[in-house]
Amino acid sequence: MTATAVTRKPVRWGRVALHVGCLAALLVMLYPLAWLLATSLKPADEVIASLDLLPRHLEWSNYSTALDGVNDVSIWRLLSNSLLIAGGAVLGNVISCSLAAYAFARLRFRFRGPLFAFMIATIMLPHHAVLIPQYIIFNQLGLVNTYWPLILPKFLATEAFFVFLIVQFMRGLPRELEEAARIDGCGPFRSFFSIVLPLTRPALITTAIFTFIWTWNDFFTQLIYLFDPDKFTLTLALRQFVDASSSSAFGPMFAMSVIALLPIVLFFLAFQRFLVEGMASSGLKG
Amino acid sequence: MPGHRTKGFWSSAAALALCAMVAGCSGSGESVGGGKVVLRYTWWGNPDRAERTEQALALFEKQHPDIQVQTSFSAYEAYKQKLATQAAGGDAPDVMQLDYRQIDQYASGGVLLDLGEQKAALRTGEIDAGLLATGRLDGTQYAIPQGRGTETIAYDVKAWKATGVPLPGRGWTWSEWADTMRALAEKTGKPGATDPGQSEDAFEVWLRGQGKSLYTKGGELGFTAADLTRWWTFTDKLRREGAVSPAEQTTQLDGSVENTPLGRGEALSDSNWDAPASGFLALIPSGVALAPMPSGEDGTPGQYYKPSMFLGVGANTSHPKEAAQLVDFLINDEEAAKVLGATRGIPVNDSVRKEIEPQLEDFDKTVADYQSSLEGTLNPPPQAPPSGDNALQTTFQRDYDQVSYERMSPREAAENYVTEAKAELRS
Amino acid sequence: MTTTLIPTTARTASPKRRVKRERQGPAWVFLSPWVLGAIVLTLLPMAVSLYLSFTDYDLFNPPRWVGLRNYVQMFTEDPRYWRSVTTTLTYVVIAVPLQLALALVVALALKSMKRGKAFYRSAFYAPSLLGASMSIALVWRAVFNDGGTVDNLFGTGGWVNQPGWALLAVALLTVWQFGAPMVIFLAGLQQIPAELYEAAAVDGAGKWRQFLSVTVPMLSPVLFFNLVLQTIQAFQVFTPAFAIGAGKGGPADSTLVYTLYLYDRGFVASHMGYASAMAWVLLLVIGAVTAVLFRTSRSWVFYASEGDR
Repeated sequence: MTATAVTRKPVRWGRVALHVGCLAALLVMLYPLAWLLATSLKPADEVIASLDLLPRHLEWSNYSTALDGVNDVSIWRLLSNSLLIAGGAVLGNVISCSLAAYAFARLRFRFRGPLFAFMIATIMLPHHAVLIPQYIIFNQLGLVNTYWPLILPKFLATEAFFVFLIVQFMRGLPRELEEAARIDGCGPFRSFFSIVLPLTRPALITTAIFTFIWTWNDFFTQLIYLFDPDKFTLTLALRQFVDASSSSAFGPMFAMSVIALLPIVLFFLAFQRFLVEGMASSGLKG
Repeated sequence: MPGHRTKGFWSSAAALALCAMVAGCSGSGESVGGGKVVLRYTWWGNPDRAERTEQALALFEKQHPDIQVQTSFSAYEAYKQKLATQAAGGDAPDVMQLDYRQIDQYASGGVLLDLGEQKAALRTGEIDAGLLATGRLDGTQYAIPQGRGTETIAYDVKAWKATGVPLPGRGWTWSEWADTMRALAEKTGKPGATDPGQSEDAFEVWLRGQGKSLYTKGGELGFTAADLTRWWTFTDKLRREGAVSPAEQTTQLDGSVENTPLGRGEALSDSNWDAPASGFLALIPSGVALAPMPSGEDGTPGQYYKPSMFLGVGANTSHPKEAAQLVDFLINDEEAAKVLGATRGIPVNDSVRKEIEPQLEDFDKTVADYQSSLEGTLNPPPQAPPSGDNALQTTFQRDYDQVSYERMSPREAAENYVTEAKAELRS
Repeated sequence: MTTTLIPTTARTASPKRRVKRERQGPAWVFLSPWVLGAIVLTLLPMAVSLYLSFTDYDLFNPPRWVGLRNYVQMFTEDPRYWRSVTTTLTYVVIAVPLQLALALVVALALKSMKRGKAFYRSAFYAPSLLGASMSIALVWRAVFNDGGTVDNLFGTGGWVNQPGWALLAVALLTVWQFGAPMVIFLAGLQQIPAELYEAAAVDGAGKWRQFLSVTVPMLSPVLFFNLVLQTIQAFQVFTPAFAIGAGKGGPADSTLVYTLYLYDRGFVASHMGYASAMAWVLLLVIGAVTAVLFRTSRSWVFYASEGDR
């Protein structure tokens, strides 16, 4: 025993301090989440009025109400609608944004500078200002009350945030591999698919994660474009519990918020590990 | 006139531009469901209202086998935004629930159909004339009131009784109300009520109690900065005395009963519309009662029967007759009323109301009893406020915030408000 | 603006003439979805809103041309507009540096960690999963209320209902959700080839030296991205302020940020022309700030693909 203790590396105090610091920070960070969970179990007269973290007694009926769904639409339906939209959006953003980003980062074409500037400028206009023109367009296309207005824009790389993100990552890649490939007669398409895309995987995973979460939580667009309760999502449905003009059910709203949180937690947990393997595993050395 | 100046220009401009770019322009198309006429009907509310609405609509579809109703709801704030976007995009639903404050804007914007054209399908004979007139603009009936509400002071019965202060009775005046609030505050150490200074609705009741009104018939401001100064001086004093809620409490109002001082257990009463006051029951299980709003010092009542909501038909609906039939059903059908109860306020149709009143239960009954106790004592409602009122309602709260946080005197804030209101109403 | 934004062309194209001029065809193939989306879903609505900014448009009646009136009114007759400008600038100055610093520090801490990395990363990201939803706004209002947790700990009273503190509570909600920039930093750190550190170590560089000569330059494109995007997003902050300020930017207009006021003008007061004008002024301001950032980036952002050219 003493032997092992001797051979073991001395305690790394720096590392311990790091963990202690991180845990302390987490305690503060996760406190509001604990509050959210606790509130979802509070009875109606405590949800807003009580400033204590813990409920006086656990009100499980909030969850059973939430699990019943809203307006004859089951929670499973709401869940699968949300998944469909978020999944479609992820696919769209990853494909279209990486294509556009490659052109901006690596290829040369006329007006590249101005077009890049325009792309960045599109995220500077508050979306409330273009909401109505966009609605008119989708209405004229006969796409209102379908999922297209929520998914189609993602396939057309309208989210400049992600194009710019992937551009920045691609520009961080050394060109040597592509140059070598070009000498071997590799065109831009193969170069994109077999060299650049694998190397930008952290950025693509990041795009996928953010797109999923942000689309999932995007109350506003879903509200405007969806009409049939059958097509509603979890994010829309949970807000239906709270109507200031009649009466609200904050408890079930909190319960449904927690339920709606689960899929995105799972999605994040499933994909975040791919963030780890960037360069290291896909092998720049190769 | 308004009916023609629609958003046609915008729709067609966008359509043209698009057709040039995208091959094949498919219009939004007729909604046809198996040869049936399909109506879209939207409203705001909560899941309870949704359930009863679905049941009523099932009844309607049974009565009209050739019509299918698609319905959808959101909470109030979200609904307003969604409806505005749809209407601006030329895509207003066939039948829509509207608020008092939306009537002027939607009617003058050409969103609503002239319901006079559908008299055959839509009966209005049994609705109180004054109430019906609130859905009229320049002599045209654009919307039909669907429910009747009035303002009330909801209070925590048990806590109030415990103080020994006499319970509020009929015909109390604003100064009696103020004295009562002071007495309550003294006994409990908590404010007696939500500070009414932030509420344009409460101000209107106070104003009407003096024979004035928020807006003139021509849609201009019906009061002066001096009137508002007096109101805000009155509430400001009460707030400083602790008789009504402090700024820190008042500012958290967001329309929901949960965020009122009464709902949080920080005060004993709250002025609200009668039907939404039902929400207090879940928060104060020991009991909530409704008292009338205070009247002017000479006994002039300020509160009135307000349409809690309206139904309107979209101007470019393809099925005006069927849409009118649906409106008629929701307002005049007794079977529908039995299902709907008082979820949208007490029914406006006189005979329907008499029919269902005995069947109302729980808080619906409390509201119905409260309303019938006022029957015959109130003055007729004003016409629907001009569209600028949508913005002014929040401006009113904002300016009063400046008073309650003691950044401005009541006079400064009132003058600010009147200047802003005049600009808003002119544009 | 365009010249300052040109990322690589300026440097790669002009001094070194490529041996073979690349054909443009492939580029347009890659760009085609973006071009279609940019024209139909972005350019067209933007053009419409620019036009509307010169009109009086109440959403339902056809817009009426009023020239520059909206702009003049905004700058000269609307004190609330200017208050929203100062509120927004204050917010940007508080939220952006705090959020980025926190994200970077946590990302660096996680990178140097051998165990528990995945756990910490997920846990630190957790608040960002929520967005500024209604439920989290209610939680925030409870925690920062009179008698709430913060009041109990620090005795400062409630933050959300004091005009002097409410904006800080809004900013803290944004800062709290630093997961997005953190993940981007982590991805950027991940992308730095290990050989660079090995080479630096061989050259005898210590940890700090490695940080300065390898991490900082290699991370600079990502740092730049985060800085630009968080600044743009902060200027447009809407949801947290909307949710915490009960939809009206209270108390006493202290959280009435720019886009919230824009929304209020456009959708509550139905002055969409005025709101559009506000939107375009904001675009110009953000554009100018971004242009400055891009210009300064030349001196501190290092791109591996261009580094040795």
